[in-house]
Amino acid sequence: MKDDSVKHPQAAAEFLKDRAQAKWHDSAIWWVRQKRDAQAKQLPEWEELRRLAREIKAHTLSQLDDYLAQFEANAQKNGVTVHWAADADEHNRIVHGILAARQVKKLVKSKSMLTEECGLNPYLEQRGIEVVDTDLGERIVQLRHEAPSHIVMPAIHLKKEQISELFHKELGTEAGNNDPTYLTHAARANLREHFLTADAGLTGVNFAIAETGGVVVCTNEGNADLGTSLPPIHIASMGLEKIIPKLEHLGVFTRLLARSAIGSPVTTYTSHFHQARPGGEMHIVIVDNGRSDILGNEDFYQSLRCIRCGACMNTCPVYRRSSGFSYSYIIPGPIGSTLGPSRDMKKHGSMAFACSTCGSCSNVCPVKINLHEQLVLHRKKAFDQNLLPTGKKMGLLAMRFLTQHPALFDLGGKVMRKVVPIIPESLTRHSAWSRAGRDLPPMPAQSFKEQYQQRSQNKKDKQDKKDKEEQQ
Amino acid sequence: MSTRDSILARIRQNRPQATALPDIHAVPFIRYDNPFEAFATLIRNLGGDAVQLAAGQSVADIVASRWPDAGRTVDLTLPEHEEVSDPHAWHDVDVAIVPGQLAVAENATVWVSHPDNHFRSIYFLTQKLVLVVPRDAMVDTMRDAYARIDMAEHGFGAFISGSSRTADIEQSLVMGAHGAMAALVIFV
Ligand code: SF4
Repeated sequence: MKDDSVKHPQAAAEFLKDRAQAKWHDSAIWWVRQKRDAQAKQLPEWEELRRLAREIKAHTLSQLDDYLAQFEANAQKNGVTVHWAADADEHNRIVHGILAARQVKKLVKSKSMLTEECGLNPYLEQRGIEVVDTDLGERIVQLRHEAPSHIVMPAIHLKKEQISELFHKELGTEAGNNDPTYLTHAARANLREHFLTADAGLTGVNFAIAETGGVVVCTNEGNADLGTSLPPIHIASMGLEKIIPKLEHLGVFTRLLARSAIGSPVTTYTSHFHQARPGGEMHIVIVDNGRSDILGNEDFYQSLRCIRCGACMNTCPVYRRSSGFSYSYIIPGPIGSTLGPSRDMKKHGSMAFACSTCGSCSNVCPVKINLHEQLVLHRKKAFDQNLLPTGKKMGLLAMRFLTQHPALFDLGGKVMRKVVPIIPESLTRHSAWSRAGRDLPPMPAQSFKEQYQQRSQNKKDKQDKKDKEEQQ
Repeated sequence: MSTRDSILARIRQNRPQATALPDIHAVPFIRYDNPFEAFATLIRNLGGDAVQLAAGQSVADIVASRWPDAGRTVDLTLPEHEEVSDPHAWHDVDVAIVPGQLAVAENATVWVSHPDNHFRSIYFLTQKLVLVVPRDAMVDTMRDAYARIDMAEHGFGAFISGSSRTADIEQSLVMGAHGAMAALVIFV
């Protein structure tokens, strides 16, 4: 479970202490962003796909109650039991109830951020059920007793040496063997034992289809499939926003998801579950846990379109340089920074400030959520509710005063450009800029405004000259 | 009020302004001049391979020449094939040859869905997966694929593309996570 007392600036500073690892984190994630771009360029209809996805989701949210009811009815026709959970606790009670009634000793889980959100693992473990996360990245963080640091790449914060050490201790692999293939295959052998001996399997849900009453799960590893085709019980936990109207709409979303998430044309397995395996049973738990409240919030309900691809994290300059553990909410990065404060401003308010407002997240989002705009609105809310640390609040008030008094702003700039270069370094070393290990940049001779005016003037002069020449 | 009814009531009260459902067929999607080539090129990057059956050749020939030392082999494309009553019983299958209904050029996936849903575990337990697809069952994109599949039929279906893989350790791509370590698509 995640520690929700984390404050972003302090946690990020902590992460940045290990410069080499921080640099690696940044470049590893940027590489995924580049792969996403390469995939997007291969489809001429990419932007149209994003538009369609956005509109399908917007429509679905506008009739969500009808689609959920339709989904439920169709799932029941397929012989699936549907449950409803108002919050995390009810979700956990329902899942435990299903497992306890059949004396389940071991549950194999495939990746699900929703069960992280609900704190399902500790809940079941306290009640004597062994829970095995089976996605490799999830398994790694489970063995380390950590939460995932990214929603698609849960162990992206770790180096292979750390994983090798962990596996040596937990799975008995060779000490010092850091080869990713060796380590992955060792985990494969170990997890296969768990798949073959589990009494039940739990999956998340990528999409739920109202028209057919089934759910779709996308994985590269095949863990959701092994975990549901072997044990007799399949439980699928889904947030209520996962609904899409018809099977045909999957043709839009399955084209966007993996390309946006990992820069691959598709996940290895895109599996459509409509019934249990023969002789088994299937349950779907539909979870609210605050979602229906967000739906009623005009400024923030768009965040419910999210398909959890993680593209916004991969592009975010702040996330890449601060890691998922610097965010207090279970989902980090841009989307987490709008969902978290929507849930609880007091706990997660600092997340909305972990943003440079560069807008890159909104530009890559496959369902076109206005992420950076939502973050600015959350900041305003945090300010209005008086939740900012005094220093930050004073700074913002001073900034507001300055921007409302342009003459003073210009004067301040002028003084800075003259004074900063002559301040001795020993005095600037502890400024917010230099603390991160950077030197102060050289001060420009002119302000941006002056440069801009000069450029416009030059352009005008050139044009005048040209006009004159033409006239002659 | 039940949890169900109170959730639905809250949604009804909170739902945003109505917007129309777009027509996903009104937009042109990519077309391939040579879909087989597009498929074959892609699947090689995804840890798989694709071949076309030559005249006089059989699926069994191709499989035998590719994996001469294969262990337990199960061929579900034969009219008379092995049956098991428990899905765990496929745990030691080395090569599984299964029918694929449809292939998609844009992402090298094959749609598998068997009327008797108890074959499900073999697709994922086997070490090597061979998908046998009719040559003319190839579409360009996922949109075309969904127009051709009937979900009500079998209770389970999956698009499978290449071999099981992961990049969870330092972003190094490793083939063979939990499912098949190798995948071969044979167009017949
Ligand atoms: S907000 Fe958009 S980019 Fe971010 S995870 Fe959700 S769908 Fe992906």
